[in-house]
Amino acid sequence: MVKDLTINIDEKISSVKFFVDEEFPHLRVKNHDLCLQCRDKFCLNFCPAGVYRLDSQGRIIVGYQACLECGSCRVGCPSRNIEWSYPRGGYGVNYKFG
Amino acid sequence: MNKYLYDVVIIGGGPAGLSTGIKLAQKGLKTLLIERGRFCGAKNLFGGVVYTSSIKEIVPEFPEVDPSPVERPVTEEGYFFLSKEGVVKILHTKKRADESFTALRAKFDAFLSEYALKKGIDLAPKTKVIDFIRNNGFIEGVIVDRPTSFEDPSPATIKAKVVVIAEGVNRLLTEKAGLVTKTFEPEEVVLAVKEVLQLPKGELEARFGLSNNQGLAVEIFGEITKGLPGTGFLYTNKTTISFGIGIFLKSLMDLNLKPYEILEYAKLHPYFRELFKGSETLEYGAHLIPEWGIKGLPKPYGNGVLVVGDAAGLVNPLFREGTNLAIYSGLMAAEAIFYAFEKGDFTERSLRRYEELFKDSFIYKDLVMLKDLKTFLLSNSHLFQVYPEMIYDICSLYFSAQGRYKRDVIREIFGIIKKKRGYWGILRDFVKIGRFLW
Repeated sequence: MVKDLTINIDEKISSVKFFVDEEFPHLRVKNHDLCLQCRDKFCLNFCPAGVYRLDSQGRIIVGYQACLECGSCRVGCPSRNIEWSYPRGGYGVNYKFG
Repeated sequence: MNKYLYDVVIIGGGPAGLSTGIKLAQKGLKTLLIERGRFCGAKNLFGGVVYTSSIKEIVPEFPEVDPSPVERPVTEEGYFFLSKEGVVKILHTKKRADESFTALRAKFDAFLSEYALKKGIDLAPKTKVIDFIRNNGFIEGVIVDRPTSFEDPSPATIKAKVVVIAEGVNRLLTEKAGLVTKTFEPEEVVLAVKEVLQLPKGELEARFGLSNNQGLAVEIFGEITKGLPGTGFLYTNKTTISFGIGIFLKSLMDLNLKPYEILEYAKLHPYFRELFKGSETLEYGAHLIPEWGIKGLPKPYGNGVLVVGDAAGLVNPLFREGTNLAIYSGLMAAEAIFYAFEKGDFTERSLRRYEELFKDSFIYKDLVMLKDLKTFLLSNSHLFQVYPEMIYDICSLYFSAQGRYKRDVIREIFGIIKKKRGYWGILRDFVKIGRFLW
């Protein structure tokens, strides 16, 4: 539907302030085999931060560092295959405007 | 063993949690508010507009507070119907300028938390509640992701007679407390993405025809969401613009669309491209809006626990209410807590008072009235696609009818209606909308 347009989500995300928790990722794919079988891979598109991407082998990579903590992937994954929690206290997105 | 003991612990420093806290502090209850962000507001995002009457309930001196926590008074409010080519606007100049204000949550929520602190609550920022202290079906406090002390690295526990869950739309703790049996579904939430745009100095007032103390609040239908069920929004702040879209997560998934592409596409629409010329994106953000309504409502009370605000799903998308409902629910929760303290009973027998107050309020009645809204919108998605285009095309003909035989113009207008929806289609839509709202 919006084919003639490629948006660089990284550019948008660079406007957002994060305190990244380098020790504990707050998002995790529970079972990568399920993702490999998943034909839809909705998460690649609906995630407003582009957290979910594919590596060269077609595996899902989770860039939790840029997560806006909206919660879409928690319910949008058809197999509920994403372990979802908020980042530890003080970490994660830190809006200046909001 | 427990170093920390409170009358009430509130989870989440948004308007729902903070209004609960402010009210409780007024009666001297020892209250702790736990916020996982670095400050209250750091995690929060909305369109958005805040409503004076609700704020006055907790901050009576509002809007006469300095520095102001809000952006501009809403003096003009209305709708844009966006077609591919242009826009038809319906704007209403408000009778009273101080009824509502545009706001940005990092500032607004931080203001409320400062206010709550002054009233005497304790605030623990940068702290996440990971679970509850449970005892025989009772919630007796919370466990947080911070160590108990220098000597004791185990997670700190904080005891309280009542725990108020004001965690927001992702109701993880509400689920953990057993007050809701299932997670919500993609058709029960709207995913909103928003940008805060800065225009060149002086351009905001010039382009929107506003003076310094005037502001605009607009909802946008049609091409802005590519005709999908949802809306766009535009609010003028002091020196910036809040511009965004909200679309049902289910609709995005059905078509495998990226929300930020639709937003960018909207910014490139000829009308907005001109309006936002030379603008800079100061911040991008995203948030879910709970639209599960009455059917997905959690049980709002339990033994030693209450649920307020977005966590309960208190949003009225049709009338753009959210923060005000959060505040009112906080007030009702506080009242129920006073009642429980009077009785010295913190079981659900007395905390049920919250649900009684809630069911008597307009919030509950509205939720009942709009119980089928999301089903209605999702099953009538043509409303978002057909009508904005049709309205624009009709206006295009009408406003350029000069020098022609008007009967031909009128016939052409009817031709558009017939082609886009058909007379019967329109009649059916009107009846459907009428029956829905009645």
